[in-house]
Amino acid sequence: MAELKTFSRIPMRTWRWLGVNESRIPADINEHVKTQKILVEAGKEDEVVLTQREGGQYELQVHIEEGAKLHLVNAQLVPDDALYTCRVKVFVGKGATFAYTVVEAGARHTATELHVDLVGDDSKADVWGLYFGDGESVIDLNYVIRQGGRRTDANMQVRGALLGKSEKIFRGTLDFLEGSKGSVGREDEEVVLLSPNVRNRSVPIMLSHEDDVDGHHAVSVGKMDEDKLFYLMSRGLDLAEAQRLVVEASFNPVLDRIPDAELKAEIDTYLQRRLSNG
Amino acid sequence: MAEEKFVPKKKTYVEDIERTLYDIKDEDHSVYKTQSGLTEDIIRDISKRKNDPQWMLDFRLKSLAVYNSLALPTWGPDISELNMDDIVTYVQPDAKMTGNWQDVPADIKNTFDRLGIPEAEQKQSLAGVGAQYDSEVVYHSIQDDLVKQGVIYTDMETAIREHEDVVKEYFMTLVPPKDHKFAALHGAVWSGGSFVYVPEGVHVEIPLQSYFRLNAAGAGQFEHTLIIVEKNASLHFIEGCSAPKYNVTNLHAGCVELFVKEGARLRYSTIENWSRNMMNLNTKRALVEKDGIIEWVSGSFGSHVSCLYPCSILHGENARCEFTGVTFASKGQNLDTGASVIHAAPHTSANINTRTISKAGGMATYRSAVKVTRRAPFAKCSVNCESLMLDNASRSDTLPVMDIEGDEADIGHEAKIGRISDEAIFYLTSRGIDEDEARAMIVRGFVEPIAKELPLEYAVEMNNLVNIELEGTMG
Repeated sequence: MAELKTFSRIPMRTWRWLGVNESRIPADINEHVKTQKILVEAGKEDEVVLTQREGGQYELQVHIEEGAKLHLVNAQLVPDDALYTCRVKVFVGKGATFAYTVVEAGARHTATELHVDLVGDDSKADVWGLYFGDGESVIDLNYVIRQGGRRTDANMQVRGALLGKSEKIFRGTLDFLEGSKGSVGREDEEVVLLSPNVRNRSVPIMLSHEDDVDGHHAVSVGKMDEDKLFYLMSRGLDLAEAQRLVVEASFNPVLDRIPDAELKAEIDTYLQRRLSNG
Repeated sequence: MAEEKFVPKKKTYVEDIERTLYDIKDEDHSVYKTQSGLTEDIIRDISKRKNDPQWMLDFRLKSLAVYNSLALPTWGPDISELNMDDIVTYVQPDAKMTGNWQDVPADIKNTFDRLGIPEAEQKQSLAGVGAQYDSEVVYHSIQDDLVKQGVIYTDMETAIREHEDVVKEYFMTLVPPKDHKFAALHGAVWSGGSFVYVPEGVHVEIPLQSYFRLNAAGAGQFEHTLIIVEKNASLHFIEGCSAPKYNVTNLHAGCVELFVKEGARLRYSTIENWSRNMMNLNTKRALVEKDGIIEWVSGSFGSHVSCLYPCSILHGENARCEFTGVTFASKGQNLDTGASVIHAAPHTSANINTRTISKAGGMATYRSAVKVTRRAPFAKCSVNCESLMLDNASRSDTLPVMDIEGDEADIGHEAKIGRISDEAIFYLTSRGIDEDEARAMIVRGFVEPIAKELPLEYAVEMNNLVNIELEGTMG
């Protein structure tokens, strides 16, 4: 087995045998990191759509000033045999909003870290993620939203499907810091397992040093709802078509946020093709 | 835009209060104590005094070697203030094990009387009682009709003498010393604890209870509980523990091994109320065979630091686990509690339901692991954990992990964290209830799912503990 090195760490450690404390990447990965900075000035609104089609290491540094809004779309469609890492660091000022739509669909090994600091009062993060694993792909995700300001609002919605012999770890952390009075946070992950050889690890973490907060997290892991499949098959679809339709429906809340119709159609086709192969 | 004035919300303030009943210290009348620390000589000394068979001495020495080879865990609460060189691992009380309450020395008897242990037995609400004081069990009794049915309930030392083959077959097979550093420590210095054997088809209708009291300052308690419930049998076992508070660190590293055979049912209830100088690093594990059921009811109120995650290995088809837990962390406490479940057979199911409360700077962590192996298609698991914070000096964290292999599992997890809502307080006060009582009612309601799982006397004890913790509450 190739040597690994640590890429990212969970905010609070747990039993080592679960293998979720660190996100590890192949040690021989190209050290070069392509870095991009995004600044949204106070009161402005912006939308940035990024499509990663080449393996390698990426870093996005995002600063959203007071009252500003950013919708960042980050679609990862790198070749199946590539290694891919992406670190996204986001600073959200007072009254500012960070909306993030992320698709992790390609690569042999994906490791991403999202670190959002809701520093300003009334700042907001609305994160919608989608991952898709097939073949022997490894997807290793570590998303953290730190809620430092008062009345901050964090929403983390993640949908995924695993086929083949794919493995995935999703760590999602909502961290209510002391002083984050009146803040709310919600985290949901829904995973559909489509092969007996997949491995899914879900780690929904909630940390709180403030009593005046309202935090929820929920995870649902399992095979496809048989009632839904039965309904669709009773309407004449075969099993594979019915499964495709159900997965697509679960992905749609994320895909619908992609403003670029061409990119959305490309991702849709890409996922459909891989679902058919699975 | 003008800065909006932030108006702090009214909140509960809870003073830490004296836990009088549990804090009464007896004079230390122990007849023997080992030197503090952990050496091969100390292990040999403990083993000799306990008249261990050779295999047990060998086991202890191997465990010591494992202990010395393992590092401290890199996760969980800080336990750096625990210095094993300061801990006395064996304290022999001035009492011989007896089956007659009148033969127990007066000061020890008074302690257990205060805690209500013999009273519950006399009221016939317990079918058997065991009482451990420091490192040795001083009293054990069981109803005659259970003995006639072949039920064994005795201290571990007697079990080794009278049922050596059974003990040898099961002892520390479920929690091997190499499991973690404190399991190895337990294997080296264990003393006392209970052994229960319920033969096939026997239903023990009234609970058995063992109570563990640690009186000596700077000492450790390392009792071993081994329960075997044979095919289609059932048992409810209750464990209680407390200690008076000292200014030095005490250590509890007990070990509980539960074997639930085919079609058997075991309920294991614990009300833990160790003193606030106790490091409670306890290991509990159950192996559940086909159609068997393990039910854990766990109340954690005491200790300075606790690491407690009862583990259920669902080894046989249709095996089930129900875990119900409440943790109340107050000033000076860091209580890291939860559960783990390993699904290792088809159609196994688990339900984990916990409540944690933190106040006055207390730290409460819910930590869990749900593992579904490839051998466990159609596994089902539902986890629900809710955390209530009574002030923002406290901490409340939840850290669950789900590790699912295969595609035939159905796993759900849900968690909530927050404070007592102003709407709920407003509703209750508008009905004429004063605010302190309204808050206490909400906290009692919050732990109700756990209280209702306990026998009446223990539900009352738990409510009393909640009331003690909330006393001094001010708006």
